[in-house]
Formats: sequence, C-alpha cells, structure tokens
Amino acid sequence: MIERHKQLLVPLPQGTVFKRLLTYAKPHWKWLIVAFLLLVGGAGAEILGPILIKIFIDDFLTPRTFDGQLLTLLGAGYLLLYISAAVMNYAQLLLFQKIALRIIQQLRIDVFARVERLGLSFFDQFPTGGLVSRITNDTEQVKELYVSVMAVFVQNIVFLIGVFVAMFFLNVQLALFCLVILPLILLIMQLYRHFSSKYYAEMSEKLSQLNARLNESIQGMAIVQIFRQERRMSREFQKTNQEHFNANFKSIKLDGLLLRPAVDFLAIVALMIVLSYFGITSFNSPVEIGVLYAFVSYLDRFFEPVNQMMQRLSIFQQAMVSAGRVFRLMDHDEIAPQKQGNSSPVIGNGEIEFRDVTFSYDGKTPVLKNISFHVREGETLALVGHTGSGKSSIINLLMRFYSIKQGKILIDGTPLEEFADRELRSKLGLVLQDPFLYVGDIEHNIRLYDTSIMEEEVKEAAKFVHAHPFIERLPDGYKSRVGERGTTFSGGQRQLLSFARTMAKKPKILVLDEATASVDTETETVIQSALEKMRRGRTTIAIAHRLSTIKDADQILVLHQGEIVERGTHDELLEKQGLYHKMYLLQQGAEWLEEMVSD
Amino acid sequence: MRVFIDLMWYFREEKWRYGGGVLVLALVSMLSLLPPYVIGVIVDHIVNDTLTLAILFRWMSVLFALAVTVYILRYLWRIFIFGAAIRLARQLRNKLYEHFSKMSSAFFQRRRTGDLMAHATNDIRAIEMTAGAGILTLVDSITLGGFVVLTMALTISWKLTIIALLPMPLMAYATSKYGSMLHQRFGKAQEAFSSLNDKVQESMSGIRVTKTFGYEAEEVASFKQESDDVVEKNIQVAKVDALFDPTISLIVGCCFFLSIVFGARYVVAEELTIGQLTSFTVYLGLLIWPMLAFGWLFNIVERGRASYDRVTRLLKAKQDIVDKPDAVAEPPKGELDFQIDSFSYQDGEELVLRDIYFTLPLGATLGIAGRTGSGKTTLIKTLMRDFEITNGRVLLEGRPLDDYSVEALRSSFGYVPQDHFLFSATIADNIAFAKPEADYKEIIAAAKLAAIHEDIVRFEDGYETVVGERGVTLSGGQKQRISIARALLADPEMLILDDSLSAVDAKTEEQILESLRTIRKGKTTLITAHRLSAMKHADLIIVLDHGEIIERGTHDSLMALNGWYQRVYDHQQLESLVEKGGEPS
Repeated sequence: MIERHKQLLVPLPQGTVFKRLLTYAKPHWKWLIVAFLLLVGGAGAEILGPILIKIFIDDFLTPRTFDGQLLTLLGAGYLLLYISAAVMNYAQLLLFQKIALRIIQQLRIDVFARVERLGLSFFDQFPTGGLVSRITNDTEQVKELYVSVMAVFVQNIVFLIGVFVAMFFLNVQLALFCLVILPLILLIMQLYRHFSSKYYAEMSEKLSQLNARLNESIQGMAIVQIFRQERRMSREFQKTNQEHFNANFKSIKLDGLLLRPAVDFLAIVALMIVLSYFGITSFNSPVEIGVLYAFVSYLDRFFEPVNQMMQRLSIFQQAMVSAGRVFRLMDHDEIAPQKQGNSSPVIGNGEIEFRDVTFSYDGKTPVLKNISFHVREGETLALVGHTGSGKSSIINLLMRFYSIKQGKILIDGTPLEEFADRELRSKLGLVLQDPFLYVGDIEHNIRLYDTSIMEEEVKEAAKFVHAHPFIERLPDGYKSRVGERGTTFSGGQRQLLSFARTMAKKPKILVLDEATASVDTETETVIQSALEKMRRGRTTIAIAHRLSTIKDADQILVLHQGEIVERGTHDELLEKQGLYHKMYLLQQGAEWLEEMVSD
Repeated sequence: MRVFIDLMWYFREEKWRYGGGVLVLALVSMLSLLPPYVIGVIVDHIVNDTLTLAILFRWMSVLFALAVTVYILRYLWRIFIFGAAIRLARQLRNKLYEHFSKMSSAFFQRRRTGDLMAHATNDIRAIEMTAGAGILTLVDSITLGGFVVLTMALTISWKLTIIALLPMPLMAYATSKYGSMLHQRFGKAQEAFSSLNDKVQESMSGIRVTKTFGYEAEEVASFKQESDDVVEKNIQVAKVDALFDPTISLIVGCCFFLSIVFGARYVVAEELTIGQLTSFTVYLGLLIWPMLAFGWLFNIVERGRASYDRVTRLLKAKQDIVDKPDAVAEPPKGELDFQIDSFSYQDGEELVLRDIYFTLPLGATLGIAGRTGSGKTTLIKTLMRDFEITNGRVLLEGRPLDDYSVEALRSSFGYVPQDHFLFSATIADNIAFAKPEADYKEIIAAAKLAAIHEDIVRFEDGYETVVGERGVTLSGGQKQRISIARALLADPEMLILDDSLSAVDAKTEEQILESLRTIRKGKTTLITAHRLSAMKHADLIIVLDHGEIIERGTHDSLMALNGWYQRVYDHQQLESLVEKGGEPS
C-alpha cells in the first residue's frame, strides 16, 4: 500500500464524524420536524393517559360521585387518546425510518460517486474488496445509527421530558426529588460508555483475530497437515478462542453491572422516594391517591426508555467507527485527471504525437523514458516488448488515466489535457485486455449506457466484428442473459463482445490492448479478421503479443525497460537481427509451445 | 422449540450453571412482584389513615433490601446463563476447528471457505443466542408472566384478571401476523441489499471499462436506481416494523381501560380497595415485557434451530483417510516404486494417470515434466495419500503406502506446494512451522539454502517481520523461497518441490538447485516444473502427457531424443534470452 492510502485507515475523530452525520440530516429538516411533532404528540397522548385515570380516581371513584355523561366523556377521551397515540406513533416511527433510509441512500450515493471519480491510480493500488465493504457494509452500520439509535434516543428523550413535565404538573416538590435520579443515570451511562468502548473494542479485535486464524487454517490446512502441525495449530486456535471468551465474559459482566440491573436498582430507589414522600406527607395532610398512582406509573414509564437507550450505546459506538471509515474514503483526494483550459477542441483526424514523455507511477522509478513517436491519420502503430516494458503505461497515458508531468502528448496537434472527458472517451476506443462483461443481456453489454445507439447499430457493430453469428445461435439472441463476469461465454466470445462494444461507439482512434489469453484456432482466426477490419481507416495504437498480426503495421516500437530500443517496419526490424528478431523467432514456435505447455 | 431438545446434552453438561440460572431467574421474577404489593399496602394505609413512621420505615427497608438482592441476583443469572452460552460457542468453535483439521483436501475442495467460515461465525452466534437469550426469554416470560397472572388472580381478583386479559389474544394474533409479514419483507430487503452489493462489486471490478467509455456519471445514476430499490424494500419492512409498538401500546391501553372500568365497579361494590386497584394496574404493566418476549423467543429459536442443524451436518462429515489397525508407525525412507495401472478421481471419470511404472532409488532426484493438466500434481499427491489409488499401488521401502500410518508417512515428506501459502506470523515462525522449537541458527541456515536470507535481512524487522494479510506484502518469488526454507528446515526424507521455483529468476533458481544438490545428498528429492532448467540435474526425468509417461531419461538422453523435452527446453532458453533484452548474459 502506498503512503497516501495509509491515511484511509486512520480513524476520524468522533466529534467530526458526528457533525458530518448531522449535516446529512439537514436536507430533511422539514420532515424531521413533522416526525418530531408527531413523536411529541404520541408521547404526550400516552403520558396524558395516567392523568385521566388520576382524575377518575380522585374526582369520581374516591368521593363515589359518578356522573354518567362526564364519565362517558372521560372514557371516550381515554380511548381516543390511546388510538391517536397509536396512529401518531406509527406515523412517527415510519417517518423516522424513511428519513433514515433516505439519509443512508444519500451517503451511499455520495461515497460511490466520489469513488467513481477517483483516478485509476487509486484502483490499481487499493483492494476492491475493501472498497465494496466500505460502500455497502459500513454504510449499513451507519443506518443502524439513524434507524435504531437516533430514533430511539430522540423518542426516549422526548418521553423522559414529557414524564418530567407531567410530574412537575402533578407535584413540583416530588418531581424535584425524582430529578435527583437523572444525574445518577447519566453517570451510569458515562461509566458504561467508558468501559464498554474499551471492552467491545477488545472483543471485536479478538473476534477478528479468531476469524482470521480460522480462515487462514481452512485455506492452509494442506500445509498444516503435511507438516503435521494439527495439534499445535489446534492449541493455538483454542488459545485465541479462550481469549475471545474472556473478553466476551468481561463484557457480559459489565452489562450485568451497569445495564438493566443497575437501572432497575435505581427504579426501586425512585419508588422508595415517591412512597416515602407520600407517606410522610400523609401524616400532616390528606394525600391524593390519584397523584400517587400517576407518579408510580410514570416511574415505570420513565425507566423503560432509559433501559432502551442504554442497550443501544454499543451500537452507537460501532456506527461511529463505520461512519468514520466512510467519510475517510469520501475525503480521499486522488481524482482522475481533468480537462484544463477553456477551449473545447474536437478530435477530427486522429493524429497522435508523443513528445519526449517520461513517466513514473510512484514518482521514483520511471516506467517510461523519453518516449517520442508520431502516428498519422489512419496509420497503425504497434507496441511490442516483454511484460513490464512500458507498453500498457503508454496506453494509460494516452487514455488520460494518469496525468503526465514530463513531455507532451498531442492529438491533432492539441495537448491531451485540453480535451473534454466526453470528447476523449467517445473518440478514443480502447479495447481492454480483459474483456469485462456486465450482468444483463448481450445488447446491454454492447450498448452499455449509450441510449443513442439503436438496436440496429448494436447488430451492425456485432456483425462488423463477426460476433453476430454466435449471438444469433443463442436461444434469446441479443436478449440472452449474461451472468456474473460473463463466465458462460468463452474467452474468444467475450473478446468479440468487447470489440462490438467499442465499435458501436464508432471511435476515431482505436487503442488495442491485445489479449494474451489463448483461444481456440477457429475463434482466433475470427478475432484476427475482426481486428483487421476494425483498424481499417482508423488511427490505431496496438499492443500486440502475436507478432504475426502486426506485420502490416506502419510503425513498430520495440520497448525494453521503458525505453524504445528498436523502431521500424516489420521487415526493417527483422533485418536488424535484434530483439524483435528474437521475439519473432520465439513467436514462431509459440503456437506449438502453447499446445505443448498448456491444455 | 425442538432446538432445546437438541441442545439437551449441553444443558446437562452445564446443569449447575443452567439450573442455578433458571432458579435465580425465577426468584427474580417472584421478587419483582413485591414492589406493586408494597405500593398497595402503603396506599391502603394512607387511605385508611393507619400509616405510621414505623410502618413506612419497615416497608422502605424491605424495598431497599429487595433492590440490593435483585441487583445481585440479576447480575448472577447473567453470569450463569450468558456465561454458559458463550462457553457453548467456545466449545463448538473448538470442535469445528478440530474437525476441519482432520478433513482431507477433497473436503476443502467441495466446500467454499466463505461457507465454512459462516458456520463458525454466524451459525455459532445464532446457537449462542438460543442457549443464552433464548433460555432467558423462555424462562423469564413463563415465570414472570405466570407469577404476575397468578398474583393478580389470587391476591386481588380473578374476575378482574380475566377481564383485564381479554384483549391479550388479540395482541398475540396481531404480533404473530406482523412477524410473518416482517419475515417475508425482510427477506426481500436482504435480497435488494445483496444485489446492491453485487452492483458495487461489479462497478469496482469493471472500473476500467467505465473509465474507458467515460460512463462514470451513468454508473452513479444506475447505482442510485439500485439504491432506490433498497430504500423501497426497506420502507416496506419499516411499515410492518412500525406496527409493533403502537399496537402493543394500544392493546395495553385497552387492558388498563377495562381493568379501571370494571375495577371501579368492584371498588364501589366494595369487593376491592382502591389500593388493590392501584396494585392491579401496576401488575398489568409488568405483563407487557413477557408478552413482547414471547414473540421474540420464536424468532431466536427458529434461527437457532436452522443453524444448529447446519453445524451438526458439517460435524458429521466423515474422515476420508484412516489408518489401518496394524499400520507401521516408523517413517519410511525415500525409496520409491510406482506401480499405478490407472487412476481417476471418481469411478467412471476420465483417467488422470495410467501405466505409471518406475522406481527411484534412495537419495535420487526425480524430475516430472509435462504440460498443465498432464497429471504431475496428481502423481505427487498420490504419494502423500491425499487420495487412495484404486488400480495399482505405490511402494515405499517395499511396502504399500497404506501400510504406514498417515502420521508416519507425512513425517517423511517435506512439501512445497504450487500455491505458496504463508501464515500471518513472523518470517521466522513461518520457516520454523514444521519445527517450532528450532533455534535462530537453524532458521537462518534454512533461509540461506533457499536464497531468501538476503531479502529477509533487508526488511526493517528482519526475521521478525510479520507477513500475510496484516503484515508486509511479499513478492511471489519471496513467498516461494520462504516455503522452500520451511520445507528444508524439516529436513525430510523426501522433499517435494511442486512447481515451486516458477516465480524466481534463473540465477536464483540455479543457486537454490546448487544448494539442494549438496544438502539433499543421500535423500530423495522430487521436482515438478514448467521451466525445465529446474530439473536439469535430476537422476531421472519423466515427461507426462494425459497421465502417461511419454519420455523418460536424464537431461542429456532426453535432449538427444529430439522429442517434447528437447523442443520445450530450447524454446525456454530463447525465451529467457528475450527476457534479458536480447543480450546473452
């Protein structure tokens, strides 16, 4: 991993993460207020219930005065209250979830869009698996924060405030007594947060060690067995398993000491306060039993939300870590090279010139040294050389996947940097070495996202590259399904489809990165004839592995360790008896060798 | 609930923990009925004006003692029950690991790593849940629910209890209905999430195509569409999910309403005191949790059962290769006699080996050449008894392979596989893998023989450098040479290099082969390779094609034969010349 990617692994401070998560909620503020009001309404209605019962007990039941009409009103009011509470709570719960889902969607789109804009230099270095996990799994963790943590916290805090307001309304003095409980709860929460962040981190670290060990053992079991280390490995696994168990047991103890048991302890203490208060008051003055009833039932309702919130503290911790990872990726600054200048040049002829280009991926070891060449309209330039000689780097630069610091690349006399991305991508047709197919149908794989390509043009392109016959033979023709990575098609068929994809765009300049994968002779002939047709009338730059196919190239550059060591036409180069000549001899035996060495 | 019966063996094993836990749990349930009772008593005293400071103090002391006791008890049962549950998880994980280490490579070829891992992670977690939270929920909801209803009925009024509980069946019906709706919708939401995952995976793998055609914006738009689907499916889940709480609250509200309305009548009729009515409603509140818990229990148990079945099935997989009862425990020396008529992986399938007859004297070097898929690796694997030969046999020191115990046989081999595999540990640990007690001298000597010592000392931490996923990334050639050092340190009777010099350059290869020739004197060495220079000095070279020996001899005799060997050898010489840029070195 290179230096600049290391900071992607550094955790972001929690304060920053929290602030940024809040900004994501901002666009939804209107609906959040509605949801909030519904929540207050629902909680209020539920809190009013015991007050109605209190009125009933104190004003009707204790003095035994039953006014039929008033009672009906009271009863109907009570039921109505509960029904409206249910309706409001449902709407509120749903609304919060919807907002949370939308926020996460936005977060995902933002991080995905950011990653799409990163340069190939990033993708060439950073493992794909880690990226996918950040875009989907980490954001899913953040979803938990909004869905189950934020909603629960907001709801329960509102509920707690409601309970206190109701208590104050009933009896200010007693409510003040109960308020003493609050700092205690906050203290427990703080304690729990402090220890759990440590214990949970230890536990998840041990779990990932355990899984890593298991995964490694499964993959390397053959080695373990052949060197007869099963018992030792098993012992080591048991040790890690035991460490995980210990960490797990510690967190169970912590949960037992500080979660529900502690809160329930406080609940009984609070009950003692209420009962003592009423008991002592009753010595001097009469007590309203209804108020006592209401207080007791509020206490019950008070401690449930507290428990709910405590349970979610650990999810909160995890979500914050995940959010930090997502934001780190979103902040990563390694954008693909962009258009420079204000002019909007157009590629007309397709003339290419490299002027003294020197290039290095890491800024230290140069992979291209003083490369200069000139390809006129309609001509073919072939690049040959051993793996690592710099052929692919030339293509990477021409496609503007990487920006150059030394030298110049010109298309039709205009510097490469000045072209708009659209112009460049539509006029330069690159055929990749690894023909990547997408899940979908054949037609989609040829057209990709360009809706201006008509069905007829798709067929034309397929016919042009000789892919039409095999597509026609498929049961659903152009609508045939393509599975993951197109594994149901042969290597040759995949190549033809990728040719068709390029030809459908009718590029001015063709850039070929010839596949090394061996295909059967019959398909090989088809591919060769397709390539020849594609090159006709187009400026072509080709990396060729089969020297026989580039005999008719106008220019051949032989590269070795980033330098052009020979250049000329096929015949000229053969005459030189240099590297090209040796390669050619090697190639002559290649077909035979392929047959001999691979199956 | 059947999973509880399946897990009975464990409950028996841990009968003290579970017995204690259940007992404590029941005690806690019982004790939690006390506060409402105290409330009722105090209220009645207040109403009747009979409350004294002494009575109040006495009851408050009772409550405080209760608070402390319940706190301790609640802590205890957690330790008992959850502790036992994670012990089960630990035990099952160890069992699975031991089981894996007995399985042959055929087992690991059939099963995917991801799948095996899922057994040891997700499934065990689900079983742990069942043995912990499942038991808790079961005991808690039955005892607490039962006690509450009994107390309400016996100490206050059975009539009022029945009336108050009338809406409960409605709640049970509603929650189970929601449960099945949720299950379905949740499945769809998970599918949508998976397909989003696939989309991202595809986008990242196909990023070159996207960049080539300049379709970044379109890719994002298509991602947005997929994510819309995820949101839509999740909203469907939320619609059901949000029903639970309001429904339960509403029904509980109805219960309260009924008990107040009818309770008031009983108070007027003087069948009940106001204090009793107050206690009654508090009891009613205690029933909410057991109700919710019961629905939750079904959820846990269903998952636990599915997972337990999966794990059991895996543990039942049979060991492929077992020792004969009178197997020889003495490790054989490297004197080989191959007499294989034919071999195929499965009956009726294509033959992978046929007519393999040759002998190799003790201390000789064998080279096996041939194209990919010609049977080189299979031939070597039969020697290590990775699978049984059906037609024919291989003799070691004159005895058939299966006369030796697997342990003895394996201790005679040092194997360097094609796909070099290193463990996430230090380089020293990796080299000393087969002989953990080896000292630094031996480790360094082995590394020098494998021509990797120079590379290692150049690392910042030298031999203590951690390799593998969490450590530094090594090149293919470096990994190969560490694998070779690992096998050399074991100093085996027979050393097998299975195409394990492919990623080192010609010069290093020559260096390694040279040191092999000195230290392997008197011991048997087997080499397979694509690059024929690796076996140039072998005493016997066989060329395989479609599982048959087509050429055999020494390097010189094969070169004179003008066959496959000679042509490939010449070609490879030319190839290496081109690699060097055309200048012969």
